[in-house]
Parts: sequence; structure tokens; C-alpha cells
Amino acid sequence: MSQQHTVRATPEAQEAGAVALAVASLPESFGPAAGENQADIVVISGRTGWTAQAVEAIAAGARGVVVVNPAPESTGSLRTAAEESGAAVVLDQRWASNPALPAAEHAVRSMAGRAAVLDTVATAPAGTDPGELLADHLAAVVRITGPLENLRILHRGTHGYAVSARLANGAPVALHGVLSSARPAGVNVSMLTDDGGVSVALPKPVAAWPATVKVTGPQGEVLLPTLYESAHRATWRRLKEHLDAGTSPTDLHRFAALTESISTLS
Amino acid sequence: MSSHTDATRTLGVGILGAGPVTQAIHLPSLARLGDILTVRHIMDVDPAVAESVAARVGAAHSTSIEALLGDPNVEIVAICSPHQFHAEQVIAACRAGKKAVLCEKPFAMNAEEAAQISAVSEETGVPIIVGAMHTFDPGWLAAQENWDHLPETAHTIRSSIVLPPNARFEDFATEIITRPAGGAPDYSDPEVIKGALRGGIMGLAIHDLPLIRRFTPDFKDIEVLEARHVRPFGYVVSLRTPTRTIELRAAMNNTWKPEWSFEAFSDDVSLRIDFTPSYVQAGSAVATFTRGTQTTIHGPFEHNGYEGEWRELAALATGAKQPPSAQTLIDDLTFALDIADATVANVEAQHAVAEGAHA
Repeated sequence: MSQQHTVRATPEAQEAGAVALAVASLPESFGPAAGENQADIVVISGRTGWTAQAVEAIAAGARGVVVVNPAPESTGSLRTAAEESGAAVVLDQRWASNPALPAAEHAVRSMAGRAAVLDTVATAPAGTDPGELLADHLAAVVRITGPLENLRILHRGTHGYAVSARLANGAPVALHGVLSSARPAGVNVSMLTDDGGVSVALPKPVAAWPATVKVTGPQGEVLLPTLYESAHRATWRRLKEHLDAGTSPTDLHRFAALTESISTLS
Repeated sequence: MSSHTDATRTLGVGILGAGPVTQAIHLPSLARLGDILTVRHIMDVDPAVAESVAARVGAAHSTSIEALLGDPNVEIVAICSPHQFHAEQVIAACRAGKKAVLCEKPFAMNAEEAAQISAVSEETGVPIIVGAMHTFDPGWLAAQENWDHLPETAHTIRSSIVLPPNARFEDFATEIITRPAGGAPDYSDPEVIKGALRGGIMGLAIHDLPLIRRFTPDFKDIEVLEARHVRPFGYVVSLRTPTRTIELRAAMNNTWKPEWSFEAFSDDVSLRIDFTPSYVQAGSAVATFTRGTQTTIHGPFEHNGYEGEWRELAALATGAKQPPSAQTLIDDLTFALDIADATVANVEAQHAVAEGAHA
């Protein structure tokens, strides 16, 4: 039986990351810190300045840090702090943390050389900051596709955005953000090849709605196994695995690449 | 003796052009409407095709437009010839005193031709409709009855089309006797790309551009932000007007799986219409409205827009319905032409930038 790790979250992170629910769903592994005691795991919101907060938490003795919805910013000093202390820093991203992503990544990358086009749409409630939506959207897409080339904003406004890019083989990529409260927030990705493709639908992480990943080829269409686990819980389960194994998550390395991509857009 | 004086007689249809669209779309649709419409004359420049296709429905056949328009048994004319002949044939059909004209899209190649057609239609009183089948689809019509203020409040519109090769669905619909020869385009030639994109807008996107225009009150201020070609045939086009964002996607490849959707979003309502593929009689589109946690679905209905447009023609020919305004047809056409021109101009500008970078 593994050790239970104590958890403390800032109020903002508690709400955005549904921390109480995620922790309660892994009761053997995590539990709330008692009173003012130092927590093993610190949960912070990903608002601007989150890397400095995470560094402080590590300096204060945290063994793990969960960052909910991180905004793009330089992670250099945090990576150094995490490496020196051996702390595990995991990012709880709206869509990029969905547990279906590894299978989606495998499906997309195994066909990407034959891709003809990749079209992806992110939807979020009216009033959402389009920049935040784009960062979350792009994080999910590059998690699946790998780096995109020639990223370029065509337009961005109160109702969403259109971003142009290319896959490594030159196929056009279109990222479309729609700000509307009409539908549940989510991301759809559709990559077409000459005779099929992959489609991915990622739900928002507030419930354990499964993502769907469908692979289409000449023989028909395969729905990959559905995973009824929210992105939040998947993040915490991943953290536990790293803590138990003493390994370092690659989240910050990935996020540095994403931040660099986004910086070229602004 | 002719049955022309018979009160129960059906309306006679003549079709100009007997290619795959006539064979796979119109004849099967008309076969479902035998109680109101009968094909009486088929014209094609290839006499063997005209004879063979006409024999399928027991119609007369000819190789000249004059013969078909002069046939007193023809009351409704469908123009399914190559695009460049549409305008003159529509005008000739109106002047021949027919009761209604269906012209496959586009019904003209420029605004001047469209205005001429409009003038002749007004002068002769012959109603014209354009074969934009989605505008006659019961799923679209059900959406129209239920969308309240969405055309005024929508800010984002998407059209997405994924189609297998036409032959796949033509072969589900009929036994085709002729097909246009395919080629192997040279995609390194910018002119080929420009031609493919213009063809994509005027041949594929045009199915949904009247729908998009319905949601775009400021359609005259359309701007193409970026247009890209999708191999082997398709496009990714981002457009906007002062009040709307419009995204067009299309890919025709070798997949078996079709997908054809139209979407419009306001801040609190979204409409998605999933259309059935071209050619096949697979029922209507399904329209889905979503308002937060509430979803309302309309359809599917038993017939599609092809049958819908023939029902409309029959109603126009008998005077049971009034024709669409000529301005609507002209605006639909000029909207499509504006987008096609701007798409090509955008690609030219991209090419010029790329050339400059290599210079």
C-alpha cells in the first residue's frame, strides 16, 4: 500500500481544478492536509505568475505541485527548482490532460505523414478570454500532433479566433475558436488522410465524460476504448505514479515548447 | 390522343444534359414523384447518351436545345448542362414559354448574366429556381421555421464537407453510362491550385453559400482572410464580414465516410445541420438546435432537397407557390462569385509573397 500524500489548494485552484472531487476519487493516495500543517502537494491556479508561486511552494517543502489551467509563461526557473528538489510538477490542463490524449496522439501521429488537412474547433462560453481559450486549445492540439509550423493568427475577437498552421508534411491546419454558451465547452480535432483519418472529441473536465477517438480507414471505423475519467483525475493519478516511482513529469518541458509557440503568435 | 386536357395529367419535364447529375440525381428523384411529374424529353449533345437515358424513362430524346424547348409536352425545363451554357439556356427556356425552369448551380457565370436572366424571368413571368438542393431540404426548412432570431444574432458560421469520390454515390443511385474523364493535376502549378479553389467554391461550397448568406446580413462586405488548397480536392477558407466569422472546409478524397454539416452560433444558440450525401435518396438533413443544456432535433424527414426542389418546381408551375425573388438568386450568385474571386486573389497574394521570399 502506497503512502497517502496530503494536499492543500488555493481557493481559486480548488474551484478551477475541482480538487476536492479529484482527491476524494483517489482516497488511498491523497487526502486534505490537516490544519496549518505543511502539505505534501500544493495546488495553485495557473494565472500569470504561477511559476513563481510554484517555486515558492517547492522551496517551502512541497513534494508535488499541481497547476490548474496554466497560462503561458517561462518555466525555466521552475524547472530548475523542481529538478534540484526532486519535486514533481504536473499541469492540469482543460483538454491536454484528458486521459484519451495518449491514444489520440498515437492514432494521429501514425497517420500524420499522409494527412491532407487538420481542422480543429474549440468552444468555450461567451465571455471567455479568447487568448486563454487559444492557449488551452493549442496545448491539446500540439499534444496530439506535435509541433505545428507557420502558426499565424488570422483574426481574434470577442467571438473567437481563427489560426492558421501547417503539419510537418505541409498539410493545412486550421484552429477555430468559438465563444458561445450554446454548447458545452470542448475541442474537436479532425485529421483527414487520403482514405480516412482520425477524429477526436474532448469534453470539458468538470465531469468524467469520456473523450471519443475514432480512427477511420478503408476497413471501417474504430472507436477507441472510452475512458470515463476527467482530465482533473487523470492529472492526479499521473502525479501519484510519478511520486511513487520517483520520476519527473515532462509537463514543464512540453509546456515550454507550447509557450514558445504561443509567443510567436502575439 | 394527347392527355394534355386531362385534369389529372402530370407536368412534363425536359432535361438539358444527360450526364451523371441527371442520371443519378434527377431521374431517381423524379421516379419518386410520378404522381405529379413525368420526364418527357431528354437532350444531350451525345446522341447515344440522350437516347439511352431517355429510354430509361420512356421519354423523347434529341441533341438540340431547340428540339426540347419546342416540344409541347415539356412544361418544366431542367438545365443540367456545363456551367458556361446555363445563362443562355435559362433565357431560352423562359422565352419558349415554359412554366418553370430549374437551373443547376451556378445559374450564371457573372452578375451581368444573372441580371439578364432576372429581367427575362420578370418579362416572361417564368419562375426560375437554382438547384441549390440544401435550400429545399426539409431539414433546412424545419430549421428555418424554428431558428427565431438566429440569422440576426449569429456571429460564427461553419460549413464542413467531407466527400468520397462522386462515383461511389452515383453508383448507389443508378447505373451510370457516362462519366467525365478525370485528370492528374500538377499541384506545383499555382494556376492549377487557383483553378481548383475556384472550382471548389463554385462547385462545392456553392451548395451551402445560400445558407451562409442567410445568416450574413452584411454579406456584401465579405473578406477572405486566408484560402488554402487541400489535396487532392478541397479547401480551407477563413472569411469574415464586419459582424460574422465564416469558416469553410472541404475535402474530397477516397474515404467511404461522408460528412456534410452547416453550423451557426450566437452567444446562446447554436444550429447544426447534418446533410445526407449528394446523389443518394437518403432522406433529409437533421437540424439540431442547442441552447445550453437543451437540445432540439428536427428530422430526419423521408425526402431530401433534390426531391424538395422538384416538388417546389411543380408548385411553381401550377401557380400553387410564388417564385423566389430574383434578387435572392442574384445575391446568392454574386456572394459566391465574390468569395471565389477573393479566394483566388488571396492565393495569388500568398504566391507572390512566397516568390518574393525566394527572390
